[in-house]
Amino acid sequence: MLMAREATIARFNFPGLLTIVVCAVIWELLVRGGVIQYAYFPAPSAIGVGLSELIASAAFWADVAHTLLAVLVGWLIAGVIGIALGVLMGMSPSVRNYLLASVEALRPMPGIAFVPVALLLFGFSLNTELVVIVLPALWPVVINTMGGIAGVHQRLFEVGATFRLPRARIVSKILIPAALPSILVGLRLSLTLSLVLAIVAEMVGNPTGLGYAVVRDQQALRPAQMFADVIFIGILGIVLNQLLVQMTSLLFPAATRALRTA
Amino acid sequence: MKSVTEAPRRDGDVNTQGDLLFSCSGVSVALPHTLGERKVLDDISFDVRHGEVFTIVGPSGTGKTTLLRVLGGLTRATTGSVRINGRELTGPPEEVVIVFQDYSHALLQWRTVARNVALGLERREDADEIKRRVGDALRLVKLEKNADDYPWQLSGGMQQRVQIARALAVRPSVLLMDEPFAALDAMTKASLQDELLGVRDQTGTSIVFVTHDIEEAVYLGDRIAVITGSPGRITHTFDIDLRKPRDQVATRQMPAFLEFRYAVHQAIGSNAYG
Repeated sequence: MLMAREATIARFNFPGLLTIVVCAVIWELLVRGGVIQYAYFPAPSAIGVGLSELIASAAFWADVAHTLLAVLVGWLIAGVIGIALGVLMGMSPSVRNYLLASVEALRPMPGIAFVPVALLLFGFSLNTELVVIVLPALWPVVINTMGGIAGVHQRLFEVGATFRLPRARIVSKILIPAALPSILVGLRLSLTLSLVLAIVAEMVGNPTGLGYAVVRDQQALRPAQMFADVIFIGILGIVLNQLLVQMTSLLFPAATRALRTA
Repeated sequence: MKSVTEAPRRDGDVNTQGDLLFSCSGVSVALPHTLGERKVLDDISFDVRHGEVFTIVGPSGTGKTTLLRVLGGLTRATTGSVRINGRELTGPPEEVVIVFQDYSHALLQWRTVARNVALGLERREDADEIKRRVGDALRLVKLEKNADDYPWQLSGGMQQRVQIARALAVRPSVLLMDEPFAALDAMTKASLQDELLGVRDQTGTSIVFVTHDIEEAVYLGDRIAVITGSPGRITHTFDIDLRKPRDQVATRQMPAFLEFRYAVHQAIGSNAYG
């Protein structure tokens, strides 16, 4: 345990943190010294005060909970559908022939464009957000899973065959574990994307959650809180990503090693 | 390899009359190629007896690997018949496991050594039996200390032994080995050859062993089939009646060994371009 903690401290990026601190100090000096003069451009210290006010309010945590729910549910749906679709497309060239053109046509569509459609169908609801999240967040999982499965060495199929493993077992015990590093890459991309999409959906679609909090504080002319919302969203993104990284390295040590050496 | 020299001989187990493990007659294989099909094997007929080491030797491009895949049920014979224990072969048979040359692709890199070896037993045996058999198989290849290592932590020779243990764990009556030692250095190769003969002596497993190394074919084989040409044909077979147990130094110096090596060399040479 002690060694793990020391390793964590040794890995911590102190120079990176220093850059952020220096930038914040310069920002603070520029605003205080009157070099930057906008009516609604707060100094980092004011944003800090705004953030501490937010953290103390129950309404803010309700917003956080709503956004997290939307992100996680959307990401899970995208993950399950994406892996299933990716496995099928990776395994079968004919499925790939049928579906890849559609995937390539749908993939570049901006998710935000679905907001009006989703609003018409589902109104101001979590479902609207989920539509906006799931459709774009699906593709990184599909594409990476497909690539991972299609790249599994032919020999592994033959190993499954010589031990007469049933097809379902070849998929679950050989194919998916072999493709796991790629699948995890897709899931990570998809998680970051899900947060961005949830915020956008809340800004222009369903008026709840952290995305709407930014808009609300802007309209209430509370720039410090508005910046604090934005910074909190950024921190949330980092925390979610780190949680996923830590969880995968705990659950799948071998696949994480493959990711690092890839 | 002490265990080999001390292992009891069981020549009496080898039934030379009937009771054939494999019986191939008139086997031809044509594989899809850029333009239509290409014939890889032509009119192959041979038998493999229970308990013997049957080596198939020949230059590359003669369809040795394809022949092994046919025996393992991975590739279908286009014409002719392949029988195992009297049954017509329709897919990978239960008494057969293939050991591939490229161990790094054939092992599940995300599984420990023990879990790799357990692959063919899962859902078929209960947990205690799996544990016992995995332990037995690892002891046979002397890897019991490496049960919890990952394949990438092992040397090439050790990884190939993991693959052999994984095959032995399902207690096959025959191992089909496709140039299993070709990627290994000479010393590792020699020790694995002796280990393999030791495993055969301890378990009675028959072995069909494909190689392009003439000395290896003679050293390991009870019988040798020489395959040459394209499409490949079996042109010669030899009964290798060298004394057992074989020894890396003594056996390889025997006049009979050198004669066999010469004869196989001639058999390949005279047909290699024919």
